[in-house]
Amino acid sequence: MIRVLQTRAIPLCLALLILSVVTHLMTQATYADTLERLQQVLPKQLNTWAAELPDRIFDPTTIFSYIDGGAEVYKAYNMRKCLSRRYTAPNRPVIILDIFDMGSPQDAFGVFTHDSDGEVLDVGQNARFRPGWLSFWKSRYFVSIYAEEETEAGAKAVKELARKVAAAIPQEGARPNILRRLPSEGLLNDSIRYLHHPMVLNYHYYLADENILNISVETDAALARYQLGNQQALLLLVNYADAQSAAQSQASFLKHYLPDADSTGSALLENGKWAAVTRIDRLLAIVLEADGRQLAERLIKSINP
Amino acid sequence: MAEKKRVITRRDFIRTGSRVVMGSLMGLPLIRNAAGQATEKSRVVLIRDPDVTKGYGSLNADVLIDMFDQAVTLLHETPHAAAAWHKLVKPGDIVGIKTNVWSPLPTPAPLEDAIASRLMDAGVSTNSISIDDRGVGGNAVFKKSTALINVRPMRTHHWSGLGTLLKNYIMFVSAPWSYHGNACERLGTIWQKPFIRDKTRLNILVMVTPLFHGIGPHHFSRNYTWPYGGLIVSTDPVAADAIGARIIQAKRNESFGENKPISPRPLHIEAADTKFGIGNSHPQRIELIKTGWQEDILI
Repeated sequence: MIRVLQTRAIPLCLALLILSVVTHLMTQATYADTLERLQQVLPKQLNTWAAELPDRIFDPTTIFSYIDGGAEVYKAYNMRKCLSRRYTAPNRPVIILDIFDMGSPQDAFGVFTHDSDGEVLDVGQNARFRPGWLSFWKSRYFVSIYAEEETEAGAKAVKELARKVAAAIPQEGARPNILRRLPSEGLLNDSIRYLHHPMVLNYHYYLADENILNISVETDAALARYQLGNQQALLLLVNYADAQSAAQSQASFLKHYLPDADSTGSALLENGKWAAVTRIDRLLAIVLEADGRQLAERLIKSINP
Repeated sequence: MAEKKRVITRRDFIRTGSRVVMGSLMGLPLIRNAAGQATEKSRVVLIRDPDVTKGYGSLNADVLIDMFDQAVTLLHETPHAAAAWHKLVKPGDIVGIKTNVWSPLPTPAPLEDAIASRLMDAGVSTNSISIDDRGVGGNAVFKKSTALINVRPMRTHHWSGLGTLLKNYIMFVSAPWSYHGNACERLGTIWQKPFIRDKTRLNILVMVTPLFHGIGPHHFSRNYTWPYGGLIVSTDPVAADAIGARIIQAKRNESFGENKPISPRPLHIEAADTKFGIGNSHPQRIELIKTGWQEDILI
């Protein structure tokens, strides 16, 4: 009997292995096909602007030759590829379209939140427009379009191009799950940042010169500001791979940042603000600066399960 | 056994309320004999000419070079530029000109050439001069250099708040990204490294069409440049950067019609002074000499 099972098990394992390899190859092919397909349907003409072909494609290594300084942001969100296309027209500003394939909708959303000020536009899943620059995210793509000079015609063309690119991306993507854990009361939606790199956290809120929360590609983090009445607070949620990792990071935070925390995990900071930390299984919740103790504790208690 | 490095947190900043204390927290030495000789007032020349540019992309090279010569002459209180260069370098020096090639706003090539030309006029051999930015780590002249000239345009910067003279030396280290934490506050430590320390003879901050605000992945829009038509020249990079920063901040406030702080705050300028002793950042310790065009000078 055992022999029979073993004999049957070998082809089964082989089939699973083949299926796994095929799935892997299909995933890669789908990824490449989708990027190529998007490229093929991008407009070649935009009013009087014409695309300067060929497009340029950058990977996580070559992106540094294209974006000086800021490329680390895209790498911090696992950028796979960036397609860059220039649109030119006589006596018109150059329009530059950059499409970043971030590999997942969550990372596309994350990189969008890195710089989310500006006028809200109904393009893609979220869009912002500032003088000369429009950005939006949809599915796993973060799209940046900017005109080298701000003119009325240029701004109109930038918005039109954005709508066309958004329409060429057929599906929407899901926002990161960790955002559901943020309490809704008092949440300032425009302040939400999603990240999983300590460098990005330090950009938005400098915490420490070391990665005391062990933030990595294995963790999801959300940072958001709250306004309740006339009081404000900043809430950081970090979701770890397991409860043990979360507990270790909680201990590290208490050791380095809140050694004076009381039994509830709260402490009054030297600037009169309150900080608090708690752990809910794999999730670490930290109120970084609250205008009052009650607000800090209220936020901690209202974290969604 | 070496003691484990103490973690510096935001609370240390909150607690002390002063970055001066932070240097001692980090156990860092202060360099008081560095480029800026921070125990004395730092002399900074700001020279402007409305004819040097009509705006982004336009440059009158002859005017720029004339401004440069005037600034160096004023800085060193010499009768002419050649005499100033004889004070700055010796014929046996090996000189690296650290420039900046950031494509939207590079160091103007005529200015690079003028620096090289003035060095040669001062007796430095052609083979002992190199102009480089991203290749400085492998550049033979830079490796053997006895003197450095630091030249770059002023602009806002994604990580450091401002792309400054201090920041221009980040290409001397193998992992520039490792300096990005807390708005690149530790940039001053690069200036303490043995192969850089005490070598910088002159700093030139190009303010011809500075970038006062950055947007998008490329952090650039010509809308946020303006024809300031200036050069800031000093032996103290911190003092020159501090003056440039005040001008950028004033332009932001003027342009946006409200107080619009440089973001992130360019902490590295003050830290280079108070933590690393590279030079002077405070106005009361800077002797600012303003010459030329005064309209809309913003400082």
